[in-house]
Amino acid sequence: MEQFANERDRLLRSTARGLGLASLVVCLVCLAIPGVVPLGTLLSTFPLFAVFTFSLVRLGSSGSVLWPALGITAGLSILILVQVPFDGTTTPAVAASLVTLAGGGIAALAIVLTGSLPRIVILATGLVASTVLVELAVPGARVLSSQSVTVLLGWALCATFAYWLSATVPRAARQIYSIGRAHRAERQASETEAQRRQGARLLHDTVLATLTLLAHSGVGVAPAALQQQAGDDARLLRQLRLGGTPVPQSSEHFNVEPVEESALGHTLESVKQRFGRMGLEVSWHGTGQVLLPSDVLDAFLLALAECLENVRRHAGVTDAHVTITDDETTVRAMVTDAGVGFSLDDIDSARLGFKDSVVGRLKEVGGNARLFSSPGAGTTVVLEVPR
Amino acid sequence: MSGMPRTEETAPGSARGRRRLTGVPPASTAARAVVHANAQGSTLGSAHLALGAGVLCAIQAIYGLIAFATNVGSYPSVLPAVLAWLLFIAAFATMGLSIATRGDRLPSWLFASYLAALAAVVALDFVAIAPLNDIGAYATASVTAGFGLMTAVVHRPARELILAVAALFIAFVAAIALTTPLTAETVPGQITTVAIAVFPPLVAVFAVRQFRRMVQLELDRVLVQSTVSAPRFAVGMLASEELARLDLAAEELLDSVASGRTALPLRPKLASTAASLATELRLHLIEGRRETWLYHAITESNQLGKSATLKDAGSLAGLLDPQQRDGLLSAVWLLVVENKKKSSPTTAQLVIGPVLPRIDPGSKRTITIPIVITTTGVHRNRVDPSAWAAIAKVGRFVDSTEHSSLRVDIECIVPNPADQ
Repeated sequence: MEQFANERDRLLRSTARGLGLASLVVCLVCLAIPGVVPLGTLLSTFPLFAVFTFSLVRLGSSGSVLWPALGITAGLSILILVQVPFDGTTTPAVAASLVTLAGGGIAALAIVLTGSLPRIVILATGLVASTVLVELAVPGARVLSSQSVTVLLGWALCATFAYWLSATVPRAARQIYSIGRAHRAERQASETEAQRRQGARLLHDTVLATLTLLAHSGVGVAPAALQQQAGDDARLLRQLRLGGTPVPQSSEHFNVEPVEESALGHTLESVKQRFGRMGLEVSWHGTGQVLLPSDVLDAFLLALAECLENVRRHAGVTDAHVTITDDETTVRAMVTDAGVGFSLDDIDSARLGFKDSVVGRLKEVGGNARLFSSPGAGTTVVLEVPR
Repeated sequence: MSGMPRTEETAPGSARGRRRLTGVPPASTAARAVVHANAQGSTLGSAHLALGAGVLCAIQAIYGLIAFATNVGSYPSVLPAVLAWLLFIAAFATMGLSIATRGDRLPSWLFASYLAALAAVVALDFVAIAPLNDIGAYATASVTAGFGLMTAVVHRPARELILAVAALFIAFVAAIALTTPLTAETVPGQITTVAIAVFPPLVAVFAVRQFRRMVQLELDRVLVQSTVSAPRFAVGMLASEELARLDLAAEELLDSVASGRTALPLRPKLASTAASLATELRLHLIEGRRETWLYHAITESNQLGKSATLKDAGSLAGLLDPQQRDGLLSAVWLLVVENKKKSSPTTAQLVIGPVLPRIDPGSKRTITIPIVITTTGVHRNRVDPSAWAAIAKVGRFVDSTEHSSLRVDIECIVPNPADQ
């Protein structure tokens, strides 16, 4: 709000400066018309015009009350100087020129003089003095000439403008802050939503696998199997979109409630089916009924799926074995294949993917992965996660 | 459009999902919220401003009517002037009614007829006072017509109003040249009257423009301010929507494969769509954990995005508490936005980290993060005083001048994340 108030003051000041400078120019042009005022008088007003201009320019960048006060002083001095020695010889032309100065140039300062009581006092002084001085310049002895009414009009318009603009600012500010509050709520909601979606890693893993198959136009996989896999994945994505936290399963009934602990065997079956459709026969051995916290389960299954994907892509065989064992503290999976194998020396540089997607994921949940392989002798990966 | 088939189900946001695949820049709900809010920014407070313009116009109209009544005896034929005033009052009232009922909208046809009515007012007034041979002294309704333009100032583009003001100016100059003998006695009065007719609408156009700019700025600042309460790492409004859109696009693609609407094997174009979807999805699942609130603040802001850059390799900005964040954000904002000069664009570069080695072994629970703000085009003595207060909220700082622009070194003390 404070910055907004500063902005408002700056706006008022620059408006006052613009109107003031324009009026000064008009007044100077009027006075400079030959025959309006004597040349000597005209020249003697120049320094005062310069001071007035300077104060208006400074007004644009400084909020000090000094500058409008200086401007009013300079303006009133011009009004006096032009009429010296006040012998009633001024013409309507002089009066008209001074109207622009009093009702435009000086009155423009009213725009910055509505904020506080001292400023309003300066405003009132400037208003009365400039009106009286213009009245004196009008030939003839009417009480309120049309010229001085015009000056009053200028002051009234400027003061109303400033008051109105200042009154608009808090209204706009209220609306802005309510938009800001709504935006903050929306940010939180979108952050939660993103976390929910990013949290559905198991789901995304199968979606990514399917998309990768599709990226190769689905070549090498039975169309019916791919269609079913795509259908499963699309259904899960729809559930995710509608607010659920689906976990891929083989059955037609999906778990939409977030579960704290999930049975391993249940979900292993879906991994097996997925790879089965893609042409890799996975044989399970060992226990199938282990309960794991859902984040650990996610990481475990992702790592496992990643290993099987490696087998499918690189090992050159159509079957793999997964043995699940568990003890008091650890759940262990051993993924073995009888494929081509590779030299472990190449692993660090060539298989960064393994490090990121398998080791990294397991380490996040306190687990570990070890790899055994040599060319021609197949590959064995041991994955461990804490229970 | 890509070859992505439609789903029968019109899912919320499905259009965006498809557009995504054609590579059109994301138009997320968050982005739309910002755009929408910014669009509102152009109307925030404008109804009140329009009312204010009406009040100013009414003040001038009362003055003009008084002046007309004072001079009415000198008119050879009063009828055209009376008609001019009646027409002005009718047009002004219609305009007021329209703004009151239609709110923010002023249709072009209505504005055009309003302008036509004002032109008729000016013409009638000139016809009435032409025989008096002094436009400057007797013009009333025609001067008020200039104020009448102000009532449309928040509803119509500035250039339309400036054109209308220019037309009014030309009309005055022509009328004066045709009717008024130009002597040293009469010319100042003419100039003054023309100035009264022309300046106020121009000032109003300027003020409304500045007011809108100010509201936009404040809105941008307030929207960005919401990052201050974000968690240490966040995906940000845009990325989160992006993820949702990618999910939706994937869902549509998979669904069309499953239902057999897309034949297998896939056409190469669709296959490459699937590949790019997979790549982007993978990226989005990995990223998002690394970005801090400050990164999001800078990328999401119109103002900061243009002028501020951030180097925060260790994502240390996330460790700052809300008050420090608020201070840092305000400081950068004040440095680059407030000092805006057209000649030299101001920029700020923030370098955060690396963590300083612990000097005081007793302070194990805190770490010290150095934050360096280097700027271009920011003069030390032009910095808003509140910027210093904002920087002080972040931590102890030293300011200096580098390449004739401000540089601030801040030592920011935050709780050690290892203890949490």
